[in-house]
Amino acid sequence: MWSFSKISKLIDSWLSVNFSSTWTMVIEMVIAGIAVITLFALLGLVLVLMERRVAAWIQIRLGPNRVGPGGMLQSLADTLKLLVKEGMTPDGADKFLFNLAPFIAMIVAMLLMAPIAFASDFQLWDLNIGVLYVTAISSLMVISILMAGWASNNKYSLMGAMRSGAQIVSYELSAGLSIMSIVVLSGSLNLNEIIQSQADGWWLFKGHIPVVIAFIIFIIAVTAETNRAPFDLAEAESELTAGFHTEYSGMKFALFFLAEYINVFIVCAIGATLFLGGWMPFHIGHWQAFNHVMDFIPSSIWFFGKTFFLIFLIMWFRWTFPRLRIDQLLDLEWKYLLPISMFNILLITLMAILGWHF
Amino acid sequence: MSGSTIIFYLLSILTLVSGILSVTTRKIFRAAIFLLFSLIGIAGLYFWMQYEFIAAVQITVYVGGITVLIIFSIFLTQQAGELLPKQNKNRVLFALLAAFCGFALTLLQIIQHSFNKTLESPILPTMENIGNQMLGIDENGFSLPFEVVSILLLAAMIGCIVIALRSKPTTV
Amino acid sequence: MFILKYIKEVYSGLKSLVVGLRRTLYYFSHHKEIITQQYPDNRDTLVFPDRFKGEVVMVHDDKNEHACTGCTACELACPNATIKIITKFDITPEGKKKKAIDKFVYHLELCTMCNLCVVACPTDAIKMAQTFEHSVYNRAELTKILNKPDSKIRDGVE
Repeated sequence: MWSFSKISKLIDSWLSVNFSSTWTMVIEMVIAGIAVITLFALLGLVLVLMERRVAAWIQIRLGPNRVGPGGMLQSLADTLKLLVKEGMTPDGADKFLFNLAPFIAMIVAMLLMAPIAFASDFQLWDLNIGVLYVTAISSLMVISILMAGWASNNKYSLMGAMRSGAQIVSYELSAGLSIMSIVVLSGSLNLNEIIQSQADGWWLFKGHIPVVIAFIIFIIAVTAETNRAPFDLAEAESELTAGFHTEYSGMKFALFFLAEYINVFIVCAIGATLFLGGWMPFHIGHWQAFNHVMDFIPSSIWFFGKTFFLIFLIMWFRWTFPRLRIDQLLDLEWKYLLPISMFNILLITLMAILGWHF
Repeated sequence: MSGSTIIFYLLSILTLVSGILSVTTRKIFRAAIFLLFSLIGIAGLYFWMQYEFIAAVQITVYVGGITVLIIFSIFLTQQAGELLPKQNKNRVLFALLAAFCGFALTLLQIIQHSFNKTLESPILPTMENIGNQMLGIDENGFSLPFEVVSILLLAAMIGCIVIALRSKPTTV
Repeated sequence: MFILKYIKEVYSGLKSLVVGLRRTLYYFSHHKEIITQQYPDNRDTLVFPDRFKGEVVMVHDDKNEHACTGCTACELACPNATIKIITKFDITPEGKKKKAIDKFVYHLELCTMCNLCVVACPTDAIKMAQTFEHSVYNRAELTKILNKPDSKIRDGVE
């Protein structure tokens, strides 16, 4: 049977037979880059369509249904439109930073893809501090937003950027703490080892109620970090037109738009890896027969299934809850999420030391 | 020249050029952004040396924390969008002199220091080792400085709360 | 106690969120609730909700009689002068003069479908129709006379 790890090994062995080691490395890097860009494009198309569908069904509408069979080509048509549109730069803008910002957003999203394990034994970079790397790089996300907001020379953009900055900086704390709780339980920062530690059951089920609390806090915090409703103050349409990307058009806007969806995918992939076992099939303790049946489903399907489940969860939130006000947003973080997650991590540490989990 | 060396020089060029640009540009926001690139370049050098932990901490603390703080304070300052006034010649001269002296001092140290080759294998920068070192109470442990720093941070946080808690001005 | 109150707050907050999520999940999974009308495609089978308001019409029965007394209550109720009633004086069999409508002029282009005229009417002579394809080539066609030619007031309506 074909799997991602087999294909990658095959390519690697073929290249190392035919080329010197340096060139093998270079060619593999190029292949990885192309693969990531392809994945980005595909994810952009699929996620935009999925979002519109979910939104429509939740609001008792039909959603896109004109372009292609059942509206499947709608996002492709939108992409084409954005590609041929003129990318304008406003007169008073800081041209260099204005044009740099969307690329920073994209590069950060690409960097975040590196340590994610898409299938068993299929990972771009098996980093020994994977989780820390992800939290560190994702804190760069705010830079591109601040840059775009400042360089646009528009008060709405600036306001959106500042809101977004305050929001990301404060919600990073509780997201970090809930990630930390899984690090404490599995005793490693390496994403692969974290996945391996869930071979006899996912942490969400093994870790009792504290891990469930950590999971809920994680989902809330990453929804805020990716600037999605109900935490979309940074681009609140009714207040700030479009926040930090008010002045962007054409392909530069598309890059921001794509980066948002890629970020949603990445945080959901991290969430799936930490709490739902990444590519690890659904195993229950020592039920050998059951575990064997589950192993027949390819690991990549498990990974993408879990990730898309979490993405659906976040979309579901978006189309259910109204937007928070800025003081409610900060209240939620500092008065509720942070104290609860601090207490929770104490509890989880106790649990890990005493071995109370399964 | 191997690929590794090329990457080293690219990262160094990024760090140095953006460092120089950050002190010569006359737009304060651009200065902050160039400072950020310079810091990212240094983080890249740590990655190049395979000290991933320090690289990630560099990015979290300096790029994600301090630079964002700097940018925020720029946003909250008045007239941040205008060009900074030109520095007068004397200042530039003395700044160059100071920078050169610092550089010379460092270079002198590096040249004079005899780097002995040790047979001991270096400590692997795995998380276990870093954690044990950081909180160890044996000869090489950093438990005391770690705790002192935490007390400092605690004091800073309490100070923030005290400032924020200042009694409301009585309304007229 | 402080902690208990805090926990209660968190619990009730989460509960209210779950209520909202359940509602949207219900709509997400029940596609027969979808209310979208794919308009030009299903022109023949178009279904309107009862309260849809398309334009003001006057009700006429089989004998070409309406219930409008020409009291101008609707004209007064209209916020943007959509309705103009031109009255005349009929001679009743007893030889008395009686006020009746000559023309009930309705400017569709000014109408906001606010329903105030229908509410104001004491004799239920006008109502809201569910037509909506109002576009015409000439603006003058939007000014309509609602009472049909030769129609008269129904007996017994005062």
